Amino acid sequence: MTVPFLEVEGLTKSFGGLRAVNDVKFRMEQKEVLGLIGPNGAGKTTLLRLLTGILKPDSGSVRFKGKELVGHKLWDIVNMGVACTFQNMRPFRRLPIIANVMVSCLSPRSMGRGEWVKVVEAKAMDALEFAGISDMALEKASTLSQGDLKRLEVARAVATDPELLLLDEPFGGLSPAETELMAKSIRRLHKGGRFGRLHSEGPAMIIVEHKLQQLMKIVDRIVVLNFGTLLAEGTPEEVVNNPRVIEAYLGQQGGQ
Amino acid sequence: MTMISPAVQLKRLVTLVRTEVLVLPSRVIVAMFVLALLGLPLVSQNPYLIRVIILTSVFAILAASWDLLSGFTGQMNFGHALFFGMGAYTSALLNIHFAIPPWGSVPMGALAAVLTGLIVGIPCLRLRGTYLALTTMAFPIILMGIVFALPDLTGGELGISGLQRLSNSLVGNYYIYVVTMLVLSAVMWKITDSHTGIIFHAIREDELAVRASGINTTRYKLMAFCLSGFFAGISGGMYAHYMRIAGPSTLEVSMSFSVVIWAVFGGLATIYGPIAAVFVLFPFLEFVRFWPEYRTMIFAVVVLLILLYMPEGIVHWARDKMEKECPRCKIRNVATRKSCRVCTALLD
Ligand SMILES: Nc1ncnc2c1ncn2[C@@H]1O[C@H](COP(=O)(O)OP(=O)(O)OP(=O)(O)O)[C@@H](O)[C@H]1O
Ligand SMILES: [Mg+2]
Repeated sequence: MTVPFLEVEGLTKSFGGLRAVNDVKFRMEQKEVLGLIGPNGAGKTTLLRLLTGILKPDSGSVRFKGKELVGHKLWDIVNMGVACTFQNMRPFRRLPIIANVMVSCLSPRSMGRGEWVKVVEAKAMDALEFAGISDMALEKASTLSQGDLKRLEVARAVATDPELLLLDEPFGGLSPAETELMAKSIRRLHKGGRFGRLHSEGPAMIIVEHKLQQLMKIVDRIVVLNFGTLLAEGTPEEVVNNPRVIEAYLGQQGGQ
Repeated sequence: MTMISPAVQLKRLVTLVRTEVLVLPSRVIVAMFVLALLGLPLVSQNPYLIRVIILTSVFAILAASWDLLSGFTGQMNFGHALFFGMGAYTSALLNIHFAIPPWGSVPMGALAAVLTGLIVGIPCLRLRGTYLALTTMAFPIILMGIVFALPDLTGGELGISGLQRLSNSLVGNYYIYVVTMLVLSAVMWKITDSHTGIIFHAIREDELAVRASGINTTRYKLMAFCLSGFFAGISGGMYAHYMRIAGPSTLEVSMSFSVVIWAVFGGLATIYGPIAAVFVLFPFLEFVRFWPEYRTMIFAVVVLLILLYMPEGIVHWARDKMEKECPRCKIRNVATRKSCRVCTALLD
């Protein structure tokens, strides 16, 4: 029997009386790109935070390549190969962009991969190059625009050499042109290959996004969350034509 | 390797000074400061002046060590006197009761302070803001309680006196303290200028984001406590050996607060800021000793003015007056230059 790449079972998390994530169960294969959608407040961010150990679930399990992640520290999980970005970006504002990414390059996982790369600065630079913000490497993060901050988030996550990348609204607040660029970066990353000293094996991804049109073009499969519960699961076509999904989205003013 | 002739070496040194030091006023000032400190005894051996500079050096190490912990990682330590007192008392005990000479007792005092850093650091890991401030403030008070509870060992209120000095000559002592201060400052600056320093900076900015980058922040925060304890412990031990006494005053709240004020005055997260601040404020306070009744008030007014008009500290304020940063390559230039000395971009 082969071990599943990612196996989530019975994951539950309450805030006071509110069940933000309720008995969620799904599986993922290696290199799969999974879209995670749902109306505002459905529990998408909470689910991602449970996967990376930022939050501790009340019950349930997350097995990544056969290893239980629940109970591990965030940094351990990142070093096992699961990286995440923050929906409301969290850059190190008073540090230059390059230093923001160097922190990720200094993680044990990133340092241990590719013995031929000992130069942290160079690897950080390549991550910035990949995300398309290398020309601003020396600027302070506080001077970046919304779109560039999103790119910085991606560069930071990619610099840890993840096998599973969790992106929380990578298109959030971006203009159509910026969205197109970001989508291109994501597809390029998924295809894998070398970006300078950065070696991507094409990580699996979970992408949370409200911009469904752009999301559809990237993902293999979509999971829909509503009030913390799994509502539907399937290919993009199946999901958008699912009456329960349409109802859930119409109940809240709909997706874009 | 072939030997390089002294003439060529000298030429290289001159070139280095011209291209790396003389280009920036701040570097010229630092170089002049170091030369002046090292050359002072050649000009004057006034015992009072020597004493003031020795004590200034001790407190410069202490202020920089606070900056290493609190300025960089943002874990505000309002009880830094703990490490200072720990270093002072440990080296005093070892010197008096076990006859260990200062060159052995001072490093052992520093090690005791490192252990203290671990003990204090662990409960502080989860604390933030006011809670962290109050907790750190409590530790030196606890140690002071222990000191008073064991008067046979610690001398209680009187402290442990009769310590050996590091050197018996005035000038010998001066050089030991000044050179130690310069070397330790350089080491602290180098630590903060390394990859570890970037992680310290990042922890202050957003600890969760550092964890999400795969860094064990617990380890780095404890490391900051221990490193800071080490340098503060050395300064405590050296203080005790110079004053020839380790007393409860080393643990006082006012000591902890002075450190914070020095560091804020000089500029946080710089290392050189707090050192500069001590070299300005400590002699200044010695000077206003002639009017003891106004001393505290003058001190308070000066600090207030600085905080109001130079919120980033005196060093950055002065540097920004003399130099400006190239908008393109971020290299600093003399303020009078029109274009960057490296990338030739126009400076506005
Ligand atoms: N730390 C918290 N404490 C209390 N309640 C929380 C917390 N985090 C999230 N919630 C609540 O849990 C629910 C799910 O929130 P979550 O952020 O996961 O939604 P989301 O699907 O990411 O929404 P959005 O699309 O707006 O980002 C919301 O009702 C939110 O108010
Ligand atoms: Mg969300």
